[in-house]
Amino acid sequence: MSKKDIKLSPEMRKVFWRWYFFGQAGWNYEKMQGLGYYYSMYPLIDQLYGNSDDAVKASLNELQFFNTNNSMAPLILGVDGAIQESQGVAANDAVASLKTGMMGPLAGIGDTLFAVIPNTIIGSIASYMALKGNAFALILWLAYGVLRLTIMRSFVAMGYREGVKLISSLGNRLKKITSAANVLGMTVIGALIPSVITAGFAYTFKNGDVKITLQSLADQIMPGLAPALVVLFTYWLLGRKKMNSTRVTLILILVGILAYNLKIFA
Amino acid sequence: MQIAWWQILLLTVYSGFAIYDGNNTTFGTVKPTMAGFVAGLILGDVQTGLIVGGTLNLLVLGVGNFGGSSMPDYMTGALLGTAFAIMSGKGAQFGATLAVPIGLLMIQLDVLARFCNTFFQHRAEKLVSEKHLKQATYMNLFGIIPTSISRMLPVFLALVFGSQFVQSVVDNLPMWLMSGLKTAGGILPALGIAILLRYLPIKRNFAFLLVGFFLAAFLKVPVIGAAIIGLAMALIAFNRDTSKTEAVTESSTTEGEDMEDE
Repeated sequence: MSKKDIKLSPEMRKVFWRWYFFGQAGWNYEKMQGLGYYYSMYPLIDQLYGNSDDAVKASLNELQFFNTNNSMAPLILGVDGAIQESQGVAANDAVASLKTGMMGPLAGIGDTLFAVIPNTIIGSIASYMALKGNAFALILWLAYGVLRLTIMRSFVAMGYREGVKLISSLGNRLKKITSAANVLGMTVIGALIPSVITAGFAYTFKNGDVKITLQSLADQIMPGLAPALVVLFTYWLLGRKKMNSTRVTLILILVGILAYNLKIFA
Repeated sequence: MQIAWWQILLLTVYSGFAIYDGNNTTFGTVKPTMAGFVAGLILGDVQTGLIVGGTLNLLVLGVGNFGGSSMPDYMTGALLGTAFAIMSGKGAQFGATLAVPIGLLMIQLDVLARFCNTFFQHRAEKLVSEKHLKQATYMNLFGIIPTSISRMLPVFLALVFGSQFVQSVVDNLPMWLMSGLKTAGGILPALGIAILLRYLPIKRNFAFLLVGFFLAAFLKVPVIGAAIIGLAMALIAFNRDTSKTEAVTESSTTEGEDMEDE
């Protein structure tokens, strides 16, 4: 299949625009961009599964925790769409793992390319000129907005193409792809735990002139101990009877407020 | 100068739109230089707006809200700083100085808004499990409401009641609650990750979770580096899987031939 033969389906085009305009509209602490991701994928889900049980399964899959740089996300949407269009809900596990595996690395690249670099370059030019009373550099922000849109548009096509290629070259080896993708996804989640969760011990021991912070002790045992403990606690909570994510959310909020005021967590 | 009601209205609407744009379409309206410029335009003193905006923009050059962390909101800061500078006639420097605590204060409200959206996430999950797929998508759009209000309400109140009012609010915030919520915001992503762990086959792949954690926590490898190792392990697993199935098919055919020989 040549590159030009693979065209975005009309649904995928809708998916892209929904992400572009509202991808981060429902950003929340629990699933971050999960809500926006589901919102974006809805036209495809609706077209592929209608209002069946499969649609519910696919939707719940897309509502999961998701967070990446929002300019890079169309790459993932493209891959996801291509896989679902050819494999349906059978590919749910593969999709979940691929999303997780891709979102971490793309966040790193995207935050540098689409946030740090333009913020620094355009920001310093615009600030410098603004301080001289000149508004002209502001047009650079608008130009960047247009450039970013163009790049995002090519990302969704690129992701879609690669997704189609992946499926056609690997054919019916979906099970193997799924378990390989699981390996990737799990590794990335492991790395996300200390990177995404902010929790550090604040407690300080004082004995005369000697001061030891609990965090420095914790670091000697294991860096990232606090985030790991929080995840472990939350994972355990979720497995308890009568627990749902709303209750766990409330418990975590309470824990956060208490831990701050008891000077356990900074 | 006395601020007119339509100026208050325009500035309020701008703040709500700018935060939407900053989170989604990114046309620079959330940048302090732009916000200062627009506020100056609305209030009839572009120079002051540009200087307030430029001063604030320099404070956040390399800063972005990565991974959902909240950053000082100098958009709102520039908007109000410019307005108070022009209204009081005390000049751009006064506006910029006032804008800094406002921008820092806005972090708390940003945290609060992202908290509120957790409710919409839950609502969407409930609606989806009841097969109301389309209604569930609206929950994402509703997320705009808390985010925009977190900017529009303070801008509106500050402009109506003036800089004295802003100062007294800054001085009287219940910091135990605000800072506590920030800590809570820091640990809440654990829930998303824990749910994901319950969702993916963790028992079979626990070893890889450990590898990823080790790389990031001990070796300080960025997530992208951990993903490369993950990809390498995934490829190894995939190739071994493939050769194993091939070996199985081969051995079964040989066995079959053996039986025919007998």
